[in-house]
Amino acid sequence: MSHDKMMYVHPAPVRVWHWVNAAGFVLLILTGLQIRFAETFTFFTLEDAINIHNYVGFVVIGIYGLWVSYYFGTMKIKLYFPDLRTFIPDVIRQAKYYGYGIFIGEPNPHVMTPDNKFNAMQKKAYLGLMFVFLPAQMITGLFLWRVKKFEDYISLLGGLKIVDTVHVLLFFFFCAFMIVHFYLATLGHSATAHFKAMFTGYEEHH
Amino acid sequence: MNKKNQGNFLIWGAVVLVVLLACGRASLSYAIENTECMDCHGDESLSRLQSEGMKERLYVDFNKFKFSVHNLNSIGCVDCHADIVALNFDNEIPHPAALAPVNCSGCHTEEGDAYKDSVHKKAGGKGISIPCYACHDYHYITHLDSSSVYERENTFCLKCHNPGNYHDWLPQKDVHFSLVECAVCHAPDTSRHVSLRFFDFVQAKFLEGEEFLQALNTDYDGFMGLVDQNNDNVIDLDEFENMVLLLRQKDAIGTFHGEVVVELTPAVHHINKGKANRECEQCHNPNSAFFQQVQISLNKKDGSRAQYQVDRKVLESYYVNHFYALGGTRVRVLDKIGLVLIFGGISVVVVHLSARILTVPTRRRRSKDRRHK
Ligand code: HEC
Ligand code: HEC
Ligand code: HEC
Ligand code: HEC
Ligand code: HEC
Ligand code: HEC
Ligand code: HEM
Repeated sequence: MSHDKMMYVHPAPVRVWHWVNAAGFVLLILTGLQIRFAETFTFFTLEDAINIHNYVGFVVIGIYGLWVSYYFGTMKIKLYFPDLRTFIPDVIRQAKYYGYGIFIGEPNPHVMTPDNKFNAMQKKAYLGLMFVFLPAQMITGLFLWRVKKFEDYISLLGGLKIVDTVHVLLFFFFCAFMIVHFYLATLGHSATAHFKAMFTGYEEHH
Repeated sequence: MNKKNQGNFLIWGAVVLVVLLACGRASLSYAIENTECMDCHGDESLSRLQSEGMKERLYVDFNKFKFSVHNLNSIGCVDCHADIVALNFDNEIPHPAALAPVNCSGCHTEEGDAYKDSVHKKAGGKGISIPCYACHDYHYITHLDSSSVYERENTFCLKCHNPGNYHDWLPQKDVHFSLVECAVCHAPDTSRHVSLRFFDFVQAKFLEGEEFLQALNTDYDGFMGLVDQNNDNVIDLDEFENMVLLLRQKDAIGTFHGEVVVELTPAVHHINKGKANRECEQCHNPNSAFFQQVQISLNKKDGSRAQYQVDRKVLESYYVNHFYALGGTRVRVLDKIGLVLIFGGISVVVVHLSARILTVPTRRRRSKDRRHK
């Protein structure tokens, strides 16, 4: 194994954001499950589950603020925007790799550099995640937290049940996302490489 | 006494009792008519001086009393002020100036008994006295049945309590207070139901029972015949859907709001310290008994209401979007979609991982080939 090329891909704020966010998501999913399925899950009392869910929700919103400030402050947000000219062929190439190349030992067509750390599929997924799904989840969550206070907005959206439906569908999506995300994170050059990188900031380069 | 004699005795006893009661009632209400009292008490200026120099009004607004539930049920002044047996006009005041307190429990015996076992009755022992009418008022009582949670709380509990002080543990307390009547939690022995009312977007208000029926071109008796197509006396989900369509065709654009209210039974008076229901799971649970009874409530002019049974599935549909008891009345389809998503995620992982394991030999071979080259 060559240690000559260690590459700094995850700056400290991103790492902090990531793990706080990840822990937050796990808690939100557990408490969320209990809140929706109180008859089946009894990790906590429902009262506690709701309180934990609310506090953690705000932590996740707060840390999202850190993420936004960091990425926009440093203009590294460009990482997330695909190059439109090569985007479609890049996605196809990447999909081919995950669907075929990876099985026969072909190298990953995307080569990670600090300026271009995501492959085309990641860009697309993370972009939607961070700018559409997560904010939508936070806003609906906020509305559900103080139904009376946001009554007018909730009515505008069509009622409590509509807001809740969005929150719940995204919740299920995030559950599925976590599973796949965890799995994909084991697909580095070794099963733990990406995880280590998310702690140390350095990814080994080959 | 043999069986037959016993039967006869009971029948005759009952007849005698009925006759006695009829005479009693007749003697009371024919002896003194309401109008006789109103000669004086209909005078708006009738009042007397209290010891502290305060004026106490003795005026009774007969136009309001007329529509009270008591007058509508032929309960007159002296049925309540029962110690006035005769008016003696030789005196300046034709009846004793100090009358006995009205005994509501004399007629409302069950409520009186139920009330005994309550923190409010017991509070009387501490020098405070909470009579029935501290909550109910007396001359202008109307039927309570069709009142909304808001009206029920305002006319009762909120006169004396500020619930904001006591429920810090309760998530969404303001939502609870506006959609769940206090007694639903505080008098846990009562049964309750979800009452659905139609909110009209154009007029921005809840439609009165009659307005709602007018919109559908029917009346209290015709309503079920119009809506309940399979005649099982329950408005099922598809029947509810048809009703909403019909309303739309008739230009009644709006939506149904729900709220949880207690059934009017004496047990609503069983309110005691520390006895309130604090188990959130009892409601926030799809099998909860709290959502078993769902009714469309159409109020009538006299404060009573007509109620029509609705299938609880309606609460789990998108026809009732402004009433959602977290978990309790959730939309079930979403859970199925959720299962598909999660199992989808898991299968992607399992399939991909298996494929990688199965193809290990291929990769090994190819990397060996490459090294040979
Ligand atoms: C001739 C006029 C007159 C008539 C008729 C009359 N009242 Fe009164 N009533 C009074 C006056 C005056 C008082 C105030 C007494 C006082 O000064 O304490 C009073 C007081 C009362 C009180 C308050 C008593 C208390 O304990 O504080 C009641 C209750 C009452 N009347 C009921 C009735 C009823 C019921 C009738 C009909 C059966 C009736 N009155 C008929 C003049 C009248
Ligand atoms: C449902 C029972 C009920 C009926 C019916 C009723 N009252 Fe009263 N009335 C009360 C109660 C209770 C009070 C309050 C204090 C008490 O116990 O005396 C009261 C008080 C009064 C008072 C004292 C002033 C006040 O308003 O507090 C007057 C006067 C009076 N009633 C007159 C009448 C007259 C006249 C009628 C018939 C038109 C009538 N009442 C019918 C229950 C009743
Ligand atoms: C602490 C307030 C309070 C007191 C005091 C009180 N009630 Fe009630 N009562 C209620 C509430 C709340 C309801 C339910 C009405 C509602 O939810 O709209 C009710 C309902 C009723 C009803 C209609 C339900 C039924 O059983 O048919 C009657 C009648 C009644 N009360 C009589 C009485 C009598 C008689 C007394 C005195 C012995 C009394 N109340 C004392 C609060 C009170
Ligand atoms: C003489 C008998 C009598 C007395 C005394 C009496 N009531 Fe009533 N009350 C009735 C009758 C009869 C009804 C109508 C019952 C019905 O419609 O189910 C009624 C109805 C009511 C209702 C409405 C219940 C509902 O279904 O909405 C309330 C509340 C009530 N009374 C409270 C009181 C209070 C408070 C007092 C004392 C101030 C009192 N009553 C005194 C006979 C009485
Ligand atoms: C007329 C004023 C009054 C009304 C109306 C009233 N209460 Fe009370 N309530 C009291 C008083 C006084 C106490 C006794 C406080 C004590 O014992 O320390 C009390 C006690 C209580 C308690 C026990 C808590 C404690 O601190 O002891 C509960 C719960 C309660 N009320 C609920 C209700 C509800 C629910 C309603 C509406 C149906 C209601 N009250 C209506 C005056 C009222
Ligand atoms: C979701 C159920 C719920 C609702 C709705 C609710 N309460 Fe409570 N309330 C409770 C519980 C639980 C307590 C804690 C004390 C206990 O265990 O009884 C409490 C405590 C109180 C107390 C303090 C007395 C005590 O028992 O410690 C008062 C007073 C009170 N509530 C009044 C009200 C009033 C008035 C309303 C209506 C506006 C209301 N509550 C609505 C559940 C509820
Ligand atoms: C559901 C909550 C999560 C979200 C929304 C999320 C989102 C993201 C995003 C946007 C990135 C890119 C990071 C960057 O901006 O630099 C990322 C990377 C990563 N995440 Fe998560 N993540 C979540 C949970 C988790 C969890 C629970 C784990 C571990 C079990 C994990 C492991 C990783 C790893 C290893 C990377 C680096 C991947 C790589 O470098 O290819 N994530 N995640």
